[in-house]
Amino acid sequence: MQKEETFVTKASRLKLTNEQLIDMYRTMSLIRQFETMADKLYALGKVHGTMHLSAGQEAVAVGISRATIKDDYLINHHRGHGHFISKGADINKMMAEFLGKDAGFCRGRGGSMHIADFSSHNLGANGIVGGGIPHSLGVGLAIQMKQLNEICIAIFGDGASNEGVFHESLNMAALWKLPVLYVCENNMYGMSMDVARATAKLPIAQRAEGYGIPWYYIDGNDLLTVYETMRDAAEFIRSGNGPVFVETQTYRYFGHSKSDRNLYRSKDEIDDWRDNKDPIARFKGQLIDHAILKEEQAEEISNETLAVIEAAVAFAEASPDPDPSTVTEYVYA
Amino acid sequence: MPIPFIMPKVDMDQEKATIISWEKSEGDLVKQDETVLIVETEKVAIDVTAPATGTLVGLKFKAGDVVPVATIIAYVLKPGETLANIPENAGKPTQLKAAPEVVAAPQQSTAPIPATPLAIRMANELGIDITLVPTSGHRIFKEDVEAYAELTNNVTTISQTKTDKIAATPAARRLSRETGIPLDSVKGSGPFGRIQAEDVTSTSVTTPQSSSDRSAEVIPLIGMRLKIAQRLQASFQEAPHIAETVEVDVSRLEVIKKHLNETAELNGTAKVSMTAILVKLISWALERNSYVNSSLINESIYLWKNVNVGIATSIESGLIVPVVHDANLLSISQIAGRINDLSVRARQNKLELKDVQKGTFTVSNLGMYNIHQFRAVINPPECAILAVGAITRKPIVVDKNDSISVRPIIAFTLSADHRVIDGVVAAKFLNDLTKVIEYPEILVSSIS
Amino acid sequence: MPEITYLEAIRQTLWNEMKRDERVFIIGEDIGRYGGAFGVTHGMLDEFGEKRIIETPISEPSIIGAAIGAALLDMRPVVEIMFMDFILLTLDQIGNQAAKMHYMFGGKATVPIVIRMPGGSGSGAAAQHSQSLETLLMHLPGLKVVTPSTPYDAKGLLTTALRDLNPVCFIEHKLLYKMKGEVPEEDYAIPFGVADVKRKGKDLTVVTNEIMVHKTIAVANRLASEGIEIEVVDLRTMVPLDKQTIIESVTRTGKLLVVHEACETAGWAGEIMAVVSESRAFDYLDAPMRRLTGKNTPIPYNRDLERAAVPQEEDIEREIRAILKGEY
Repeated sequence: MQKEETFVTKASRLKLTNEQLIDMYRTMSLIRQFETMADKLYALGKVHGTMHLSAGQEAVAVGISRATIKDDYLINHHRGHGHFISKGADINKMMAEFLGKDAGFCRGRGGSMHIADFSSHNLGANGIVGGGIPHSLGVGLAIQMKQLNEICIAIFGDGASNEGVFHESLNMAALWKLPVLYVCENNMYGMSMDVARATAKLPIAQRAEGYGIPWYYIDGNDLLTVYETMRDAAEFIRSGNGPVFVETQTYRYFGHSKSDRNLYRSKDEIDDWRDNKDPIARFKGQLIDHAILKEEQAEEISNETLAVIEAAVAFAEASPDPDPSTVTEYVYA
Repeated sequence: MPIPFIMPKVDMDQEKATIISWEKSEGDLVKQDETVLIVETEKVAIDVTAPATGTLVGLKFKAGDVVPVATIIAYVLKPGETLANIPENAGKPTQLKAAPEVVAAPQQSTAPIPATPLAIRMANELGIDITLVPTSGHRIFKEDVEAYAELTNNVTTISQTKTDKIAATPAARRLSRETGIPLDSVKGSGPFGRIQAEDVTSTSVTTPQSSSDRSAEVIPLIGMRLKIAQRLQASFQEAPHIAETVEVDVSRLEVIKKHLNETAELNGTAKVSMTAILVKLISWALERNSYVNSSLINESIYLWKNVNVGIATSIESGLIVPVVHDANLLSISQIAGRINDLSVRARQNKLELKDVQKGTFTVSNLGMYNIHQFRAVINPPECAILAVGAITRKPIVVDKNDSISVRPIIAFTLSADHRVIDGVVAAKFLNDLTKVIEYPEILVSSIS
Repeated sequence: MPEITYLEAIRQTLWNEMKRDERVFIIGEDIGRYGGAFGVTHGMLDEFGEKRIIETPISEPSIIGAAIGAALLDMRPVVEIMFMDFILLTLDQIGNQAAKMHYMFGGKATVPIVIRMPGGSGSGAAAQHSQSLETLLMHLPGLKVVTPSTPYDAKGLLTTALRDLNPVCFIEHKLLYKMKGEVPEEDYAIPFGVADVKRKGKDLTVVTNEIMVHKTIAVANRLASEGIEIEVVDLRTMVPLDKQTIIESVTRTGKLLVVHEACETAGWAGEIMAVVSESRAFDYLDAPMRRLTGKNTPIPYNRDLERAAVPQEEDIEREIRAILKGEY
């Protein structure tokens, strides 16, 4: 990407106003607050099951959501909190679902791994690695048949790219020129498996070449790069040119799930990403450097987003648990 | 406010963790995210880091202690804070989660009574204190309990608990419960001597009753049977029954029956029965004895203008009385057709309400069952019922010279409600009936 | 009433429903010009075009996945899986995705898809093309499982399947495709969860489905000449299961034989027996409940071996006689 281009030039070329930039920062901050709170709640024993936190990957989520339209359909992976938040999901309902409450998005039946909000075209997170990828075919077909303007965004991790359905789906999406944006969110580890040990040839995105799908391999921690790539890809797809594949290189700070002791990676590696490549710190630095944001403002945003999350926790904790007698509700429609 | 330092939950199904070692001591300065202690779950050892920067105080547990997750294990004080700020519930699990009690290390397990569940159950059944049972090994087994029971003269109980279960199908067991027939009194005809349902039902019919106990098929008094029971009980209790019997020579009727059936055969119409002929003749007698053709309803006597003769009919589920309406106006063959239709439909359970309503008199004929003479219970609100016996060939005196001749005889017994019908009234009806049976030409105009 | 085959009844139903509801489309392998492996979709490409008769590469899991995605957008996809055996390739999409979505998303998502799959042995297709895997599907709450035995039932049940909001596995026994029967031309639907007593009888109840219904009826007709009256209960839908009819029948006859082609271990015969055991019918049992099922073996190729692997009429007759004679 154009290295010489300054942040400001890039932002203005992308027609992003300062308000939009600050809003993007706020959303990343909100995601980080949510994930940090989730970790705390877990330690307190308030979370029944497991969870997969996306702290460190905020730029991918925000970049995609801001580069696409609200009604685009989202198919999500298990580490999906960030994508939901940036797509505008109700934080209270998310937190309530996280704590297994009746007021949650799935009335306590899904939990962290299965949050979905069909009213906002958020078709749900998937607990099966790669399980949601083929759904993109049907969403794409339906969009074609109904002649809708929306596209489908199918997000999955590096691990999912080694599932059979990944290849089957790319093939069919290409064959039928389906309006699907495939995003491989490469955070370097499939649970504990290093992507380099799992994937014969990197980057993953080059696999799309074999299916005749245009592809990008980008820095997923640079918000504006993510934004620009996704915007261009979405436009290409929306114009009826078929699918596009984008691989975003990023990193997760927390373990795979809560049972994780990070035995497969070094503290130095984690610290390096945290200290030098953090998407939020990086963006904040850029905004402050170019006087778009002041330090006090950043502090204010941090307090503000924390307040939102704390209110969500209060809402969730005050919500009743689902009535056990309703356990068999929703097995059948 | 001092910041509580909790035992973190790090694993999905984790309830507690063991403290391996403290890396910091009471009063040490700690930095946020600095390792303070190492704990071990069932899966892994974890470095637990400080929740904030400050002074570590109020350490509640030592290395080796097993601590439920979410329990406060220490506090971190900010500058200027003291231990006095620590709330009361330090060391207790935080709200929301009912964690198990803290277990101090080292753990010494107090062994329960070493007995197998079967041994414990058996001891309970035998009323034996399991702790008194000597063991032959590391545990108390069933055999130990049995041996102890034998020693303490519990042998009979033992043999009872050892009694083999009787092999019987669930259906047989149900029937046994319902009838009260004990299964051990039934011989099984099934494979391996298993008792089948049929074995139980046949026992109820054929097995001689033991002196101490009776066995029966128990049938609940419900539905039609209950109605019959209630009606007849009411009738017999409320209506003072009187009964009068006449024996009548029916030779002429047999001739008429033969004649009518020959005609029916020629015409291809239905055969007539003795009942049909009798209904015709009874109707004739009823027309002339209106008190016998009456009902007692709400302290009023209804002398019916119509002659509607009910025929008591036995069906599988009980007794039903379909009615030949206006029998006095019908010919014998019409009556025969009507009775035939009613009895067929009665057996198919296809009678309609109107078929059984508005009777004024009932005839009950047990002739076909070879009953010579019997008394019937009045079918309320009617006031009389005629019991018809079998045709019996009897020697009787047939003329003034005391000549004896063998004739077909039927005994007719009229049961009458004495509230309405006096003995003489009943007798007059029976005399009329006798007359018309012996001289049917009285109503010759109606015979066809 | 016109007589048509089971296969034609299915085609007619799909055809009519696609005319009636433009959201319905068919997706699967070789369903276009080829007309599907068994010819069910023959002629439909010309009528409906390739936008609604969507031929796919050989990618079963993603075919089902595609149907799920379209269903989430309120389409009504019908998937043809060429052989039921191939659902083993797709179990994630059927079991973890389609079956679970309505529940795990708290009732927000519905997945109205119909997955048609020819099952069963008898065609010499051997181990990987002859299985009866309905039990596998019955064990996944969220799925409905349908096993029609006649052309009439096939049409009525498929109509219901196409209008149901849940994922429906529609199992077509290959040997039934050519079977003829009276099928009304007009639209009708047979509700799920209503078993059909295909033959009344008082002496013994046989609970069965698909092709075994016909084998059992043939046996029952023979036994009737000896005064033995067998009741044949055709379950028609495995999920939902018509427990009431089973219970009532066994309460009357006191004897139960379950016949299925699927192999024995953990087969649904055990489920039927459990239903009876848990009900009032238990107290009317006058013989051990028995099952006659496919053997615990893959389906072999050789004709005689293949016959030996699944219940035949003579097996059913022998088993019924044994129960009635009290041999068990």
